[in-house]
Amino acid sequence: MFSEGNVLNRTTALPRLAWAGIAFVGTLLPISSFADDQDVRDYRSHIMKTMGEQFAALNQISKGKVPAADVATQAEVLRITAGVAKVAFTPKVLGGEAKPEVWDKWDDFSKRLDELVAAATDVSKAAKQGGVAAVTPKLSSLSCKGCHDVYRVQKK
Amino acid sequence: MIRASKAAAVGIILGVTMLLPMVGHTDDKDVVDYRQHIMKSLEHQTAVLGQILSGAGPAENTLAHMETLALTASVALKSFEAKVPGGAAKPEVWKDWADFSKRMKEFAEKSAEMAKVGREQGVDQAAMLVIEALPCKGCHDVYRDEKKI
Ligand code: HEC
Ligand code: HEC
Repeated sequence: MFSEGNVLNRTTALPRLAWAGIAFVGTLLPISSFADDQDVRDYRSHIMKTMGEQFAALNQISKGKVPAADVATQAEVLRITAGVAKVAFTPKVLGGEAKPEVWDKWDDFSKRLDELVAAATDVSKAAKQGGVAAVTPKLSSLSCKGCHDVYRVQKK
Repeated sequence: MIRASKAAAVGIILGVTMLLPMVGHTDDKDVVDYRQHIMKSLEHQTAVLGQILSGAGPAENTLAHMETLALTASVALKSFEAKVPGGAAKPEVWKDWADFSKRMKEFAEKSAEMAKVGREQGVDQAAMLVIEALPCKGCHDVYRDEKKI
């Protein structure tokens, strides 16, 4: 999927096409288009960090510390971000804080990502319908830690 | 909650027009943390969109990132409404509130427009709007203390 040919294609053609406004997405390059391994690590790290900030914001909201009116927006951002996480981990690129088990046990890892998406969708729906009160009991269902315990290198 | 409603009650008794809805704001650290979570989320979302637009990220996620940027921008202004100096925010945020809030509103509007164009006309069209939709540096140059970052 991430062949050398694609790499060349991506690094040269895509940026110019993108800025020229020529239709390229989904036609020219239907699949992910990371230019190199570090891009893959950077990308998934940014995705996880986005979720980290969103989760922290939701926690603050659920504790009544910051505006409750934001809950649906913050939950929706988390839902959308969770939804793109699989693309971020699909290329098998070791490093960062990801353990090799991510790819050795891809079926389980990817199932957990699906569960994350389902839980985040549920939280977002609850936020829209029931506000903070509906979200608070569901935050633990996001099971961030459950996956990190198995698949993320614990920093000392 | 109790403190918030007390504050509201005091506001009513004193006949003070509450400029800023303080609901749920408990202490200053929370206020600063919260707006920083929003800003840091924006930073990571911008980074991935930048990767994609420079050919170093998965193009199929472009619209998703535009959508989250627009959503996050839509709550950014409110996170500064409580006048709590601190973090890297310069006092000018509140001294020049009219200008600051105008910039935040424009940020929210233009990023929403980018996401809408992405949805309706495709992300290649929306990509043309990215620079205008993300006026991060223009605001930081004026309102963020770079020494405190
Ligand atoms: C299916 C597994 C899985 C789930 C679920 C998951 N994560 Fe992660 N997370 C990882 C892996 C693997 C890494 C290490 C990625 C890397 O460094 O390449 C990580 C890294 C992180 C990091 C550190 C990023 C960095 O580069 O410093 C944060 C923050 C984070 N996750 C937040 C969250 C939050 C918040 C949630 C829940 C809303 C969550 N994660 C759910 C697997 C998961
Ligand atoms: C209208 C003004 C404004 C706009 C627009 C704006 N910011 Fe900020 N940003 C600030 C201010 C003020 C601070 C300092 C907040 C604080 O520390 O309390 C800040 C802080 C930050 C920080 C540091 C957070 C921290 O924890 O230290 C980052 C990162 C950031 N902004 C990213 C962005 C990105 C990315 C965008 C655009 C997508 C953006 N900002 C748009 C005003 C703005």
